[in-house]
Amino acid sequence: MVKKTFVISDMHCANCVMRLEGLEDDLPGIRYIRGSYHRQTLEVEFDETQLSEEQLRAAIARLGYTAQA
Amino acid sequence: MDPLWMVALITGLTTGGLSCMLVQGGLLTTSLASQLEAELRTRKPARSGQGTRGSAAGRNLLQPILLFLGAKLFAYTVLGFALGALGSVLSLTPGMRGALQIAIGIFMVGNALRMLQVHPVFRYFNLEPPARVTRALRRKSKQATGLTPLVLGAMTVLIPCGVTQSMMALAMGTGSPLLGAGILFAFTLGASPVFFGLTYLAMRLGALLEKNFARVAAAGLILLGLWTLDGGLNLVGSPVSLSRLPRMVAEAVSPGTGLQSFSASGDGGISPFARQDAVPVSDKITIEVGDNGYTPDRVRAPANQPVQLQLVTRGTYSCSRAFLIPSLDLSALLPARGVETLDIPPQKPGTRLQFTCSMGMFTGVITFQ
Repeated sequence: MVKKTFVISDMHCANCVMRLEGLEDDLPGIRYIRGSYHRQTLEVEFDETQLSEEQLRAAIARLGYTAQA
Repeated sequence: MDPLWMVALITGLTTGGLSCMLVQGGLLTTSLASQLEAELRTRKPARSGQGTRGSAAGRNLLQPILLFLGAKLFAYTVLGFALGALGSVLSLTPGMRGALQIAIGIFMVGNALRMLQVHPVFRYFNLEPPARVTRALRRKSKQATGLTPLVLGAMTVLIPCGVTQSMMALAMGTGSPLLGAGILFAFTLGASPVFFGLTYLAMRLGALLEKNFARVAAAGLILLGLWTLDGGLNLVGSPVSLSRLPRMVAEAVSPGTGLQSFSASGDGGISPFARQDAVPVSDKITIEVGDNGYTPDRVRAPANQPVQLQLVTRGTYSCSRAFLIPSLDLSALLPARGVETLDIPPQKPGTRLQFTCSMGMFTGVITFQ
């Protein structure tokens, strides 16, 4: 398991958080996901044997957001 | 109609619909898309998936959208009733209501600045729902049943947008369950046409357009926030408020402009004079209380002696009937028609007594000399 916190500075409302947290329904291997509009972050704990960080970043980008390190 | 309901309705029509759409629209559109995809899969199992959202928009959408909006309207009306009841239990004094209203005004302007992304600190003006709530809502929105829009519509009370949160605070500030329910009913009703129309568009719109919606909604919210803040300042008896600013400037430039004195005539009638002059001021002041405020709204009275303030209503139904002098903690709920007399104790020369309606919307001042 890997725990990673992405800074997503283009979240602009609570709905953005919900959209991003919805990734747990679409991607395999996500054990925990929690977004914060206040902090502009997305915390993800995932199984790297099922999901790579690149795949995660790409999925975030597909939703229209930019994941910074 | 009470002006507050009207304000809530107009707020809903102008900024509320756009702002709610940003936060809650995603739920509805996801639910609609899931429903349409499910229908399509049932009919043509081989052709499910992408492309459904766009092509299906406009088909079979009326019923779920109406269910969603109807449930939302009902849920918010109940919420308004509960908030109004809570406000009444707390039995807020005018000063506390004023302070609450000032806080609401700051909250609204802060939310607008958040929407305009002025500074990261303003993000804290938007309350984040708990993760459990957002997860439940998200899961529900992906279920494709006929009841889903109904449940989601009612559950939008759990994720109010910034403007809605402001209206909720306003409903609580009234301290009346009926007025609270009325405010949130009018607001949600007002927001419904915009929500309805935009739902069609939202099936195709991305984050780019949402940002423009936010800008429009934020501009409206700033105006409304300043209006609320102004009411709060009037309610706490502040000598300075935004609505009185032009008048204060005019007075500073040309002292006495618009000030009215009352001469004591034999029959107790009034003779208002448009400008400051040598006419002796009367110990009996008469003010007409109308739906749109007080006439005259600037009067003079003699200092160092008791003064009788006669408030005349002739079919008045707005909040101007709830008359208040904050600094004396003197208030009266006037009848729709009739005359109510308030006794004002002796005041020192130069004292300026601000008077206002219970919501701080209509104001005036009595100057003692």
